Amino acid sequence: MLVKGRSQKRSDDMADDIQKSKLDALKKTARPCFQCGICTSSCPVFRVAPELNPRVSVDSIITKGEVPREGNEWLCAYCLMCDQRCPMGVSLAEILMEIKNISAREGKAPPDVIESAESLMADGCLSPISSRSDKKRTELGLPDLPKADPADVQKLFKATGAFEVLEINKAAQQEEAAE
Amino acid sequence: MTTDDPKERSAGPSQVEVSTTDPELRIGVFPCKCGKNIGAVVDIDDVAEYAKTLPGVAHVQVNVYTCADPGQREIQQAIAEHGLNRVVVASCSPTMHEDTFRKTVKAAGLNPYLCIMANIREHVSWVHQHNPEEATQKAKDLVAMAVAKAATLQPQPELDVPVTQAALVVGAGVAGMQASLDLAEAGFKVHLIEKQPTIGGIMAILDKVFPQNDCSICILGPKMVDVAKHPNINLITMAEVESVSGYVGNFEVRVKQRARYVDIDACTSCGDCVEVCPVDVPSRTDQSLTWQKAIQIPFPQAVPSSYFVDPDACLGMDLIRCGKCIDRCEQEAIVPSDQDKYIDLDAGVIILATGFKPAEPSKIPRLGWGRYPNVITSLEFERLINAAGPTGGSLVRPSDLTKPKSVAIAQCVGSRDINTRSGCSNFCCAESVKCALLIKEHYPDTEVSIFYQDLRMHGKYFEDQYQKAREEGIKFIRGRVGEIQQYPKTKSLRVSVEDTTHNKLLLEDFEMVILSMGAEGVSGNFPIPISCTSDSFYIESHPKLRPVDTSSAGVFICGGAESPKDIRDSVIQASAAAGRAGIILQKGRYPIEALSAKIKQDLCSRCGTCVSRCPYGAISQDGTGKFTVMGALCQACGTCAGDCPKDAIYMPNFTTEQIEAQIKIALQEDPGNKIVAFACAFCSYRGSDLAGVSRMQHPTNARIIRSMCSGRYSTKFAQKAFELGAGAVLYSGCHLPSDCHFQTGNHWMAKREPRIRAWMKRNNIEDERFRIEWVTAGEGKKWQNIMTEMAEVVKTPRQQIVPSVSKKPIDEKSKRPSKAKTDTRPKTKPKAKSKTKSRDTKKSASKRKVTKKK
Amino acid sequence: MKYAFFPGCTMAYRLPFAEKSVRMIAPKFDIELVDLPFTCCPEPNAIRAMSDDTWITFAARNIALAEKEGLNILTACAGCHESLSLAKHELDASQEKKEMVNGILKNVDVEYKGTSSIIHVHQLLFDEVGIETLSTKVTRPIPIKVVTHSGCHLLRPERILHVDDAEVPVKLDLLCEALGMEPLDYMDKTMCCGAGVRKTNSVTSYAVLREKLTSMDMVEPQAIVVFCPTCFITFESGQRVVNRIFGTNFMFPVFYYTELLALAMGLPDTDLLLDEHRVKIDLPKTKEVQDKAKVDLGDSLASSP
Repeated sequence: MLVKGRSQKRSDDMADDIQKSKLDALKKTARPCFQCGICTSSCPVFRVAPELNPRVSVDSIITKGEVPREGNEWLCAYCLMCDQRCPMGVSLAEILMEIKNISAREGKAPPDVIESAESLMADGCLSPISSRSDKKRTELGLPDLPKADPADVQKLFKATGAFEVLEINKAAQQEEAAE
Repeated sequence: MTTDDPKERSAGPSQVEVSTTDPELRIGVFPCKCGKNIGAVVDIDDVAEYAKTLPGVAHVQVNVYTCADPGQREIQQAIAEHGLNRVVVASCSPTMHEDTFRKTVKAAGLNPYLCIMANIREHVSWVHQHNPEEATQKAKDLVAMAVAKAATLQPQPELDVPVTQAALVVGAGVAGMQASLDLAEAGFKVHLIEKQPTIGGIMAILDKVFPQNDCSICILGPKMVDVAKHPNINLITMAEVESVSGYVGNFEVRVKQRARYVDIDACTSCGDCVEVCPVDVPSRTDQSLTWQKAIQIPFPQAVPSSYFVDPDACLGMDLIRCGKCIDRCEQEAIVPSDQDKYIDLDAGVIILATGFKPAEPSKIPRLGWGRYPNVITSLEFERLINAAGPTGGSLVRPSDLTKPKSVAIAQCVGSRDINTRSGCSNFCCAESVKCALLIKEHYPDTEVSIFYQDLRMHGKYFEDQYQKAREEGIKFIRGRVGEIQQYPKTKSLRVSVEDTTHNKLLLEDFEMVILSMGAEGVSGNFPIPISCTSDSFYIESHPKLRPVDTSSAGVFICGGAESPKDIRDSVIQASAAAGRAGIILQKGRYPIEALSAKIKQDLCSRCGTCVSRCPYGAISQDGTGKFTVMGALCQACGTCAGDCPKDAIYMPNFTTEQIEAQIKIALQEDPGNKIVAFACAFCSYRGSDLAGVSRMQHPTNARIIRSMCSGRYSTKFAQKAFELGAGAVLYSGCHLPSDCHFQTGNHWMAKREPRIRAWMKRNNIEDERFRIEWVTAGEGKKWQNIMTEMAEVVKTPRQQIVPSVSKKPIDEKSKRPSKAKTDTRPKTKPKAKSKTKSRDTKKSASKRKVTKKK
Repeated sequence: MKYAFFPGCTMAYRLPFAEKSVRMIAPKFDIELVDLPFTCCPEPNAIRAMSDDTWITFAARNIALAEKEGLNILTACAGCHESLSLAKHELDASQEKKEMVNGILKNVDVEYKGTSSIIHVHQLLFDEVGIETLSTKVTRPIPIKVVTHSGCHLLRPERILHVDDAEVPVKLDLLCEALGMEPLDYMDKTMCCGAGVRKTNSVTSYAVLREKLTSMDMVEPQAIVVFCPTCFITFESGQRVVNRIFGTNFMFPVFYYTELLALAMGLPDTDLLLDEHRVKIDLPKTKEVQDKAKVDLGDSLASSP
């Protein structure tokens, strides 16, 4: 393991600041919620997997002042039904998204999300391009689609902080594997 | 009384005669020690000595408690002995005692508007306790400012107007009926206007009414008959108020009555006509669950007990097109030639009881109303369970007319939702429990579940109902219904709701769902400007202390037009409104505002700006193009004067001359260190008083100038203050958007800010030297903070720019950009334009900085 | 009309026949499609969950490419449509965000300006072309009963997308009607297909799908019509997994709307498209619509007084 130097320490502080400001913003967005349960009763995932309860996620932000630890928000399918119906205009799906953002920065992103991010970085595309799919396109008489410059993709990936989040998560994955 | 204290008595009043250069003007100044309240901090004798030197002052007399009987008597004696014609009392806040001293001088034969106060307690001794020297200096300045203002005070006539002994009541639901009956019983004539063909409103179509669940029409019916028969009530149905002119005591009202095509007196309500009418129309009473004919009576107990013809549905009342009803009517009561007509009425007071509209279920598509027949509203339920309803009182599913074995009731529909109405309807909880109990009463085997968010059974006897419902086995589940879906074959419904007490999803099947509907406001289209909430309910004059008054004198509100409420509350409020209206009627005369605006015709350029500024519609233009103010409508806010480009509007006791005189005196010494603070009488000035009452200490820099409303602060006052070297200027008003006592004065004041800032920019005055703040009467702490922060600002000396200060008034300069706009020539210097733009951004950036500081 | 075509990764590499159908019908409505070096939109759930900034920057780059060409973007996937539209909405609403994103985009020599709009094929056909014009192109109506599923990301957030009523969507039904189909109303019409959590938790995802399919099954449709390639794959392939996990027996043919449009317009080579479907359907043979019109005309003439 790395011995944390001074500069490492400073960047940790900075990361903490970002997390704190994200959490503060989250608390503010969550505040108008009056716990009516319309979001939850509209949630297709809650119907089959009761561990995802948007109302409870928001409640934990309001009453405990922290992001829920269980990681159930990763089950959100982002269908935006809760968002559509909230009588207080609280953007539930955005809150769940922000919770995911915060926990991703803590190295808690699930493997498939890490995988998606890696393939975006590698190919600029989430569906793996295979020779089979290329062949199919040719058969159908479809044009070759122009590709983005991989160097550009890498640049953007790094400059927007995704690389850093990816590294945090990969390290966490390895740590878990080691345990 | 504290004056019995011998020690204080020994401190005694001192009397000094001062000669004045102007024999016409004889001002008396009465500095008050207020025991130790003022005396312990401010050197009152020093203030008195100083007052003697002020121009126009003829007499100065110190008192320990000026407001006490002896103090008041001394003022009266001084007026008589010294021939005083203006009085300045330097003591507490005018909010506290202006009225007291006005009465005092009136009793001594002086016009009450010739007496003003200098506030040296709340604004001086209580907030500068640890700085007696500066406090005394400030007290002197405040006295000098008051004296300068007093010099130009004019006597104001105290007028009153006769009151027409009749009331106009608009809307004949239960509230309008109650208000009418109360006033009629008290002996006043009442003109009761109802839009529908019958009176009774929403209550008339309900089955039972909570909390005792008695029959609605059984208790309302007799009252409706009382209204119809009362000799003092002139009932006009199928009518709406078209226009209102005049003012309190003297409203002239024009009512438009639609043609009924049936002679009310001749019709015996036999119903023969209905048998032959070939046209079906959806029944309004029965919520479109069944049909009525084109000639109809809304329900058997309708008042007036007469049929009417729906002209949109009728085929034609002549024998060629149809005319069957005419043929049939033995009374010859049908009048095909009937026409819409106008009725002119006079009224001294107006009561608005126009009610609300049940919320619109189609606005909430997730609940399926309109798409799924077995989803019904609470009003539809009322008709289905009502013996006089379309099913003769049996509750059946509209899809197949079978009795539902399970019913869900969903609450808060159309309420507590920012997409419909964010407020609570106040009645849907009790309504739901009532519906559930009615179902259980008729069909004990039917399962009933109520889905609620917060069960608000707040009224008298309500909890008993809730208890009873529990005992009847009605299920209560905490969770708001997310969606309703219909099974394609059975037309039964699947209700999706989270049981929030158990974090569990309930996907339950029901044979019928009742939506407990809230209310939608419909207020605001009455032809008198009465302000409304954003959800269209009338705003009361004061939410606690004047709940049935409006900001327009002589206009009162009650019932559902004011806010959603149940029957009992509507009746209570209606009686309250009738009582308030009765006071005006009974007195017979109504005093009008003595400080109302007057237009100086010689200065007026007839631009008409004032008309748009007046929230009361008090300013009008006559045939010759001349603008005049109707005194009885004007509430003296001065917003018109604040924006008058020619300064052609005279605001008694708050004239431009008087305010500028106060500014000048405030800045006569060390102006760069002074804050000229403008505060409106109803919020900010009281906020500054509260800082005093709460002893919230702050620096002594501010010199507060009071006006009725922030709408009065024209751009000129800030300009004048800065020209005289003021360190900072504050414009403080009631909170935006809706706190303003005069409805919109604060909005107009806020609109002047960019012009003031632009002028400051041109004259190199730093942005932070001018502040606009919103301070309520409860925000003493905020006032203290503002004063403290602004005192920091004035510590930095003003840039030496005074000579270059533009003498051009702010408004004239600001016309420039609009001139540039009309210029159609090609722009030769596009760069210059972008330069201005960047400057603007900088300005807004520095503005942001200031706001941050707060 | 010329558009920068944004088929999206899923359509391009997993559902190329659906892409083909869009490219087949486009010229018939005088629409020219231009291909640009886009990246993934990016997918609105996973990437955004990792990093909001990454999501918005990639989306901004894609939009900026179209802006450079002076073109509006035509999307074919509900996910891409939502992702790009939401990003555009956020960028246009916040100067600060726009400056942040452009600061990064400078590294790859593009700039987001906000000049291009984003429309989905659904909007193109319903709002731009219109049912009336569409109907005139139909020569072989398809008389089958269908259920439609517009896709969550095409409907919500309604306040930003404005594609259809998010609670009671009807436009895709009307588009189907125009091709001679009978759209059936069904429970859970606006419910998600479950695709959003397939990778994270597949059992949950298929449980959601089972709910959806069960509701569809109640009205016994002959096919499912969608306007999103991801929903397409979820329904078509997912139903087999649902059958395996839950012991059900779903076997619905699934269509991307423009496939059916191409068929109804009688375009050549539509067999190529149908061959790729995993659940085949025998579409009822219908006469050319011109014949039908003639008959109709005769009838109405006969019945008029």
